[in-house]
Amino acid sequence: MALPKLKADATEARLAPLSLPQGGAAWAEAARHDALNRVGAMGLPARRDEYWRYTNPADLLSPQAPRAALFVSDELPPFDAVDRLKVVFVDGVIDPAQSDDLTLAGLEITTLADALSQDAHWSREVFGQLEARGQKPVERAFAALNTAFAAEGVVIRAMGKAAKPVSLIYRRSTETADALMHHVIRVESGADLSVLENGPAAARLNTVMEVDVADGGAFHHVRTQGRDRERRAATHIFARVGEGATYKSFTLTVNGALTRNETVIEILGDDAVAHVAGACLGDGADFNHDDTVFITHDALRCESRQVFKKVLKNGATGIFQGKILVKPGAQKTDGYQISQSLLLDDDSQFLAKPELEIYADDVACSHGSTSGAIDETALFYLRSRGVPEKEAVDLLTLAFLAEAMDEIEDQALADDLRGRLVAWLRRRH
Amino acid sequence: MSSVKEIEVREGVDRETVEKVAALSGKYKHGWETEIETEYAPKGLNTDIVRLISEKNGEPAWMTEWRLQAFARWQTMTEPKWAMVNYPEIDFQDQYYYARPKSMMQKPKSLDEVDPKLLATYAKLGIPLKEQMILAGVDGAEDMPSEGRKVAVDAVFDSVSVGTTFKEELKKAGVIFCAISEAIREYPDLVKKYLGSVVPVTDNYYATLNSAVFSDGSFVYIPPGVRCPMELSTYFRINAENTGQFERTLIIADKGSFVSYLEGCTAPKRDQAQLHAAVVEIVIEEDAEVKYSTVQNWYPGDENGKGGIYNFVTKRADCRGDRAKVMWTQVETGSAVTWKYPSCILRGEASQGEFYSIAITNNMQQADTGTKMVHLGANTRSRIVSKGISAGQAQNTYRGLVSMHPKAKNSRNYTQCDSLLIGDKCGAHTVPYIEVKNNSSRVEHEATTSKVDDDQMFYCLSRGIGEEEAVALIVNGFCKEVLQALPMEFAMEAQQLVAISLEGSVG
Amino acid sequence: MLTINNLHAELEEEGKQILKGVDLVVEPGKVHAIMGPNGSGKSTLSYILAGRDGYAVTEGSATLDGVDLLEMAPEERAAAGLFLAFQYPVEIPGVGNMTFLRTALNAQRKAQGQEELSAGDFLKFVREKAKTLKIDAEMLKRPVNVGFSGGEKKRNEILQMQVLEPKMCILDETDSGLDVDAMKLVAEGVNGLRDGKRSFLVITHYQRLLDHIQPDVVHIMANGRIIRTGGPELALEVENNGYADLLAEAN
Repeated sequence: MALPKLKADATEARLAPLSLPQGGAAWAEAARHDALNRVGAMGLPARRDEYWRYTNPADLLSPQAPRAALFVSDELPPFDAVDRLKVVFVDGVIDPAQSDDLTLAGLEITTLADALSQDAHWSREVFGQLEARGQKPVERAFAALNTAFAAEGVVIRAMGKAAKPVSLIYRRSTETADALMHHVIRVESGADLSVLENGPAAARLNTVMEVDVADGGAFHHVRTQGRDRERRAATHIFARVGEGATYKSFTLTVNGALTRNETVIEILGDDAVAHVAGACLGDGADFNHDDTVFITHDALRCESRQVFKKVLKNGATGIFQGKILVKPGAQKTDGYQISQSLLLDDDSQFLAKPELEIYADDVACSHGSTSGAIDETALFYLRSRGVPEKEAVDLLTLAFLAEAMDEIEDQALADDLRGRLVAWLRRRH
Repeated sequence: MSSVKEIEVREGVDRETVEKVAALSGKYKHGWETEIETEYAPKGLNTDIVRLISEKNGEPAWMTEWRLQAFARWQTMTEPKWAMVNYPEIDFQDQYYYARPKSMMQKPKSLDEVDPKLLATYAKLGIPLKEQMILAGVDGAEDMPSEGRKVAVDAVFDSVSVGTTFKEELKKAGVIFCAISEAIREYPDLVKKYLGSVVPVTDNYYATLNSAVFSDGSFVYIPPGVRCPMELSTYFRINAENTGQFERTLIIADKGSFVSYLEGCTAPKRDQAQLHAAVVEIVIEEDAEVKYSTVQNWYPGDENGKGGIYNFVTKRADCRGDRAKVMWTQVETGSAVTWKYPSCILRGEASQGEFYSIAITNNMQQADTGTKMVHLGANTRSRIVSKGISAGQAQNTYRGLVSMHPKAKNSRNYTQCDSLLIGDKCGAHTVPYIEVKNNSSRVEHEATTSKVDDDQMFYCLSRGIGEEEAVALIVNGFCKEVLQALPMEFAMEAQQLVAISLEGSVG
Repeated sequence: MLTINNLHAELEEEGKQILKGVDLVVEPGKVHAIMGPNGSGKSTLSYILAGRDGYAVTEGSATLDGVDLLEMAPEERAAAGLFLAFQYPVEIPGVGNMTFLRTALNAQRKAQGQEELSAGDFLKFVREKAKTLKIDAEMLKRPVNVGFSGGEKKRNEILQMQVLEPKMCILDETDSGLDVDAMKLVAEGVNGLRDGKRSFLVITHYQRLLDHIQPDVVHIMANGRIIRTGGPELALEVENNGYADLLAEAN
């Protein structure tokens, strides 16, 4: 079916300044062309599309990235105390000088350009493949665009327990950088890998991370999207989870003009576990934070959790679109989903669409969603014990976020991010 | 539908359910067809048909014009596709848009003159004899003594309202309860003022279609301060083949008034799917309250999905005045496809909307139903309790919207939406939209999906209760909160329906 | 210590008058009890003193050591040494009991110009107090009052009182929902705080709590006013004869 004219025009305009990366092996070229065809067939999102009803994609559609002032932080970057393998990108381009050597026991790690230039690289089974699977039933055209045009990224294969986490650090040096990054990760059977991400990356960022967790593998992902006010980001994670495997991801977001974090998880092996969580502090009318999650259960006895908490003030907008799809036969599924917002003032808003779609009977699936102000009774109780109002509000805010923060499994990382949260809350006084 | 006098209202409803289930045989109780001579307009839809319907109803020119505008608009629209329902494309030109029993063309003078088949239809529907007579238009029937609690009935048979009972008694209280065709002739000012004011002509594909071709329906006006002296009820029945039923209901509750309105629907078994696209508009002024209860038991089609009613309904209540209150209760067991979202516009300050729903789908049935609670005024309250039960290969979707506008300060919503799956071939889905645009309001949404509890099932079986009865019992328990919201007569009927609808779903 | 003068107050939203001229003076080191039938305004008085929203003081005053209480924010009243043990202690999911206690204590110390307690010192300090109230480590770890039994909640209130060491303690129906053993524990906790300087206002419906916490003065409150004041014998009179006679007498 032909695309509506407006959509076709917008897609064409967005693609015009882009060119397909060169130097890839035949399979990589083919994957990129397939992705480009997907973009052409779907068209890029428009405001009236069902999955963009709450987030306006205009800033992601403009041919050039909207200008975003550089943000200089006065605090130590996150994960600073953590022993990790650092891979640094500046404006979306890997910088070997700032990065560690890409060698670590238990891992095979290289750049996207390198992996895609090899004729028989293992990543051919993953690159563009998980993204393509994730296009149904919901279209994610920005992700297909990424597969077609992204030249930068890392390709990681974990074959055992990684000695330390791989830390992707995104620095930014210009007000106009428009970055496309594509990471490909495979966690082999029985292996264990943690990936950290932080940094502003670009004025406009589009990332895709394809994560293939084989039977019995474990993947942990902790990400921060910091105080960089004006940046815009559309991130996508496509994960495939095998038998007895574990996938856990947590994102802490503070500010940014536009954040759309899409997570698409397909649970294909029995007894697997997938958790996705997010905590977000939004401040200001230009803040739009959107978590869009789609978890498909296609195996027996699997567990999934979606835990998303948003604290919003000064006209900030928080969005949650989450879905649990239980396919026929995926019996004994345990699916849980919670999305909650704490609105600290009257101008902020929370828009949610928490969905269940279930085709198996022996399941226990539930979701909850709430929105409201600070609990006045709890606030009074705290104040009656001598805690000043602002501090009491902070304490209740942290309590509100606790369920999401608790999803961070590594205690050192969790403490680091909790400390950061407290500091961020304090600085707002 | 169950009659008033047949049912004694008692405690111990659960035990009774079991007995009723055991006593009932045959799967779709209302699946018979009445051979009545029927007058049809030609098949198909065009401006001539729209004019014909208007003319048959003796409508004034403004009404004809209203319909024609709706028809013109409808021709520019496309059928909505977002609901989780699949059905073969409907050929809107292959339908009759007007059918009525020929016997209605002359009014009978006594019961003997009434088409016995029409009477038999009412009897099968469980309508008491006296009301049968009134519906059949027998002179003097109104003055006969009636037993038990009074319920005024308007019966709509295919396209036409065939009679309304207790009209005179209601008139004494100032209540107008009549066919909408009659209201258009007799109370044009009221109709002009309110028709299309809650569900605009342009609202959606099916509502616009209805605006063009609705043939009849009920009209209710409760004057200020009046508590309607009895429950009002409409029975809808689709009898004729290949006929769409497009009824239109308009209820106006003026300041400080109260009315409880019941609606029941049945249709005969037919191999071909039939279309039903109704519109219900309710206007609720200051301090007024309306309770609207529906037991929808249109023919659901057979086990293989052949036939059945396509039920595309737009129902909306507008709480215009402060402290206005509306309560929708629905038991949806019938229809092959249901597309229905009885909604509340909470405009007045401290106005309240409630939605209680049981939707049961079995075999090949599909239901996409829920509500919209649009909070516009301050201190408004809404409550949604939805129970979806899916069996066989059926698909059951709750779709809802809770919207707190910036000015709806200090408002509350609570939503509980539970799904029960019986068997591994069916589906249960939940699609809520939650939009909160101020922080003094509190919105809570909870949803669960599960199957019939094994322990409960085992407990029932070990006490000697058969499998189907046990499921009926447990499902009735699952639905209790909604059943309790129904007027008692309807609650009994609904409990039986729950059981019947699930026949063949276990084992 | 606490001086209440001709205090009138109403419910802010409904404008319903609840307090109709309360006069009360609690001297340093004394235990005063307020008894009265349901709806007499006892709990309202405690909420107004602690600074809860929803009430409007229309006339009169309340001071703590000469300082106007009614002008202060709730946390300022707490820092000034006022403590209300709630009739219905509030559950706060997500906030650990220890975090809560430590935040409260340090906030008050800060307000009073004292150093904050280190985590280690604080832990030791709280554990000791908790032990006498039979509050175990598990209870300290759990979120504030979440999943606590009625008795545990009340004991937790007394623990907070012991940790914060206020000079004016108000106990609002602390005996409600307690069995005899729990009541004894709570009373011992309160009695342990009696040091000749600290004052108490014990609000209760029944005399039984006063068997364990001996009052110096007993007030009877009805219909928003204190209608009678006497010694401990007044509580016994209520116990034996009920409120009816006293109410009739007042009218």
